[in-house]
Amino acid sequence: MNSLISLLSLLIFPAGLTLVLTGMFYEWVDRKLVARFQNRVGPRWFQPFADIVKLLAKEQIIPKVANPFLFFGLPMVALAGALTAAVYVPLIGFAPVNSFPGDLIVTIYLLSLLTLCTGLAGWNTSSRFSLIGATRALTQLFAYEAPFLLALLGPALATGSWQISAINDYASHHWFAISQPVGFIVALIGLMGKLELPPFDAPEAETEIVAGALTEYSGRGLAMFKIGKSIELIVGITLVSAFYLGGLHGILPFLVKTLAVLFLMTILQSLLTRLRIDQTVGMWWRFGSILVLAQILITILLKGNLL
Amino acid sequence: MNIEQTLQKAEELLTPWNKAATHPEVNRLDVCISAHDLRPAVTALHNAHWGYLSAITGTDLGAAAGQMEALYHFCNGPAIATLRIHLPRTKDARLSSIEDIIPPAAFFEREIREMLGFTITGSKNSERLFIPDDWPEDVYPLRSDFSIDQAKAVEGRHADELPEQGVVGGNTFVVPIGPQHPALKEPGHFEFTVDGEIVTAARMRLGYAHRGIEKAAESRNWIQNLYLFERVCGICSHTHSFAYSLGVEKLAQVEVSARAQAIRELVAGLERIHSHLLWLGVAAHEAGFDTLFMYSWRDRETVMNLLEQLTGNRVNYSINVLGGVKSDIGLEQAVAIKEGLNYLETCIRHYLEVVTTDTMFLNRTRGVGTILFAEAERFGLLGPTARASGLVRDVRVDAPYGAYKNFPISAVTEDNGDLEARCVVRLNELLVSCFAIRTIIDNLPAGPLTVKMPRKIPAGETISRVEAPRGELFYYIKSNGGENPARVHVRTPSLCNWVSVLEKAVGRQLADAPMLTAGMDPCFSCNDRVITTVDRSGSRQTWSWKDLRAYGIEYYKK
Repeated sequence: MNSLISLLSLLIFPAGLTLVLTGMFYEWVDRKLVARFQNRVGPRWFQPFADIVKLLAKEQIIPKVANPFLFFGLPMVALAGALTAAVYVPLIGFAPVNSFPGDLIVTIYLLSLLTLCTGLAGWNTSSRFSLIGATRALTQLFAYEAPFLLALLGPALATGSWQISAINDYASHHWFAISQPVGFIVALIGLMGKLELPPFDAPEAETEIVAGALTEYSGRGLAMFKIGKSIELIVGITLVSAFYLGGLHGILPFLVKTLAVLFLMTILQSLLTRLRIDQTVGMWWRFGSILVLAQILITILLKGNLL
Repeated sequence: MNIEQTLQKAEELLTPWNKAATHPEVNRLDVCISAHDLRPAVTALHNAHWGYLSAITGTDLGAAAGQMEALYHFCNGPAIATLRIHLPRTKDARLSSIEDIIPPAAFFEREIREMLGFTITGSKNSERLFIPDDWPEDVYPLRSDFSIDQAKAVEGRHADELPEQGVVGGNTFVVPIGPQHPALKEPGHFEFTVDGEIVTAARMRLGYAHRGIEKAAESRNWIQNLYLFERVCGICSHTHSFAYSLGVEKLAQVEVSARAQAIRELVAGLERIHSHLLWLGVAAHEAGFDTLFMYSWRDRETVMNLLEQLTGNRVNYSINVLGGVKSDIGLEQAVAIKEGLNYLETCIRHYLEVVTTDTMFLNRTRGVGTILFAEAERFGLLGPTARASGLVRDVRVDAPYGAYKNFPISAVTEDNGDLEARCVVRLNELLVSCFAIRTIIDNLPAGPLTVKMPRKIPAGETISRVEAPRGELFYYIKSNGGENPARVHVRTPSLCNWVSVLEKAVGRQLADAPMLTAGMDPCFSCNDRVITTVDRSGSRQTWSWKDLRAYGIEYYKK
């Protein structure tokens, strides 16, 4: 019986199918809000779903030079990584399906897997656009990854645990967005970098390199990358709001808090101009990482004093 | 200096090589020189800073005359000096390249080489620019005895095949942009050789949508051609028909009424607003600032609606007729235009604030692609791109035509020469245009809309220059006294501005390349006018006008 429940919770609710659908819903909210900010009508509610259905039905074309094993394998690994990451976060306000001390590091690693796979996929298809896109995606990974990780470590240090569920519980009494505002901002912007949302969309800047690393992908492979992306969106938002916005317990707080974070992100997306890749790296290492390091130092010192 | 003195100066400069000089019009000097004197003559004008090379027109005088002409037009304010060179209609039609003296001449030279078969000696680039790669050798579409049967594609001739995967060797490879690319919705082809993110070489190719307009013009009568030239460009359609009608009216010595002239300037002003707002959107999109893109295109609808209300059309307004304009401005339209302008001015002021204060956008525009005054002069820049570098080249100011004498405008300049300056110049120009449009509406002169034009235009040749949204538009029109023109040569502003893009992209990041291209507001349909080759379903076929027409009729029957 127990194993059946675990299986259901993995495949149907709250992970698995529900996760995919929620991811698509959040993607729609993102697209719709950006469209409204830009004075456009925007897509209808089922558009992300329709996109995926369409892609799944389409022919998949393998470039001659690509290694087929990698070509088919990478989207699966990317999607699997994103789905596994979802297991450790308090999705839809429920306790994480699985939890162990140190799962924060594992989750962040799993989230990066998507970018790594995208980079490898770009290298594997070896089109000119995808090569440049892959280089940019990986360069950008090195720019935001450390500050993003450090930004999430802030609440972890304050809690004294590297377990997501523990931090989530601790956060319900401590709004870290107020006590660690710099960390919150860095985490929010780092998440946008991770998701390659504007202004960090240089890896897929359509005006230069078409679709970046995924230029050669079509059909199922592209669909898997896209689903992976929307899952990464929801997992990332869940992490940031669980850590900084007073924890996630219950469906209503989950919706309110995560949508608030998404709303902030859409505002930034519509306001900001794309950064060149050198500007992105410069910004993260010159400001992002230094600010968040200062924040962590202060947290450690304060914690030491309090103890 | 007035026009006579300016022309006098040019004549003095050219004395050593002058074989015969005439003054076909008050503002023109025509000097015959021989081909081997071309370089010294051009150098003399260039070193004395006498104007700039505006265009090179090639004309085939026909098999009977056995000669071709190359005309080098230099413009200095309202004055135009033309160097006229007669050459035989054979391979011996040799001209020495002047691209080392005047860089933009390279494009003009390539045009006459491909279209008329001049041999240009000493030119750096022997690649084809306009005509297709599989176009046969020694067939020149603008020759008078060209027939469509000669234009059979040569199988397997492809000049620009790239190495496998574009890898040139080492760490560099070629990024192709266009003719099909999301950044470039128009058929141009650029190849940027990149080393990592840095562009190390740039190359371009045009002519993917040549329509043979110059050739077609020779077989149509004067009135039909008005509609043909209106279709050179979908964005500045009015300026093309404006320049053409001005030229033809000058040849026919017909004086158009002040009211018609004023309406033409008004439409040109509205068209400039539409064109620059469109450009602002494109530039913002290239930079990855889609919100500005959407906003400026939304507001552009206002001016599109005004144009539609005024002329009945949104794109090819077709308000010009030879001898005047088609439609008048009524009270209702005047009110609508003023209301629309009120709204647009608010928007333009807002955009001006955005492009000068938005830090993220400035990251991509300030100090990018800087062209300073001296360089702008060397590249022969035109229009807003030149004015952003402090180089005042605006036909409306330098050589006021039509109603611009009565309703003058002031030239807008900036000194920085970077992309930011180009944004600011264009937006400020719109405010100037709005002001001019209001003045015209308030002081619209009375008079008939059209005057009668003769069907046959007296023999002669003329040059008509109009300031298009992208810069000086140059029309050379020649009549033999018949119902059709003998030759119409169109030199669009985009062609003059390419050199700067190719030179400036080198050494910059790849991410800046689309911005640089967009910065000069390139117009591809402006460049592509000359060939009648249609590529359909993979096989290249040559279609004559008759075939196309038959195909069109057949297609719409279904």
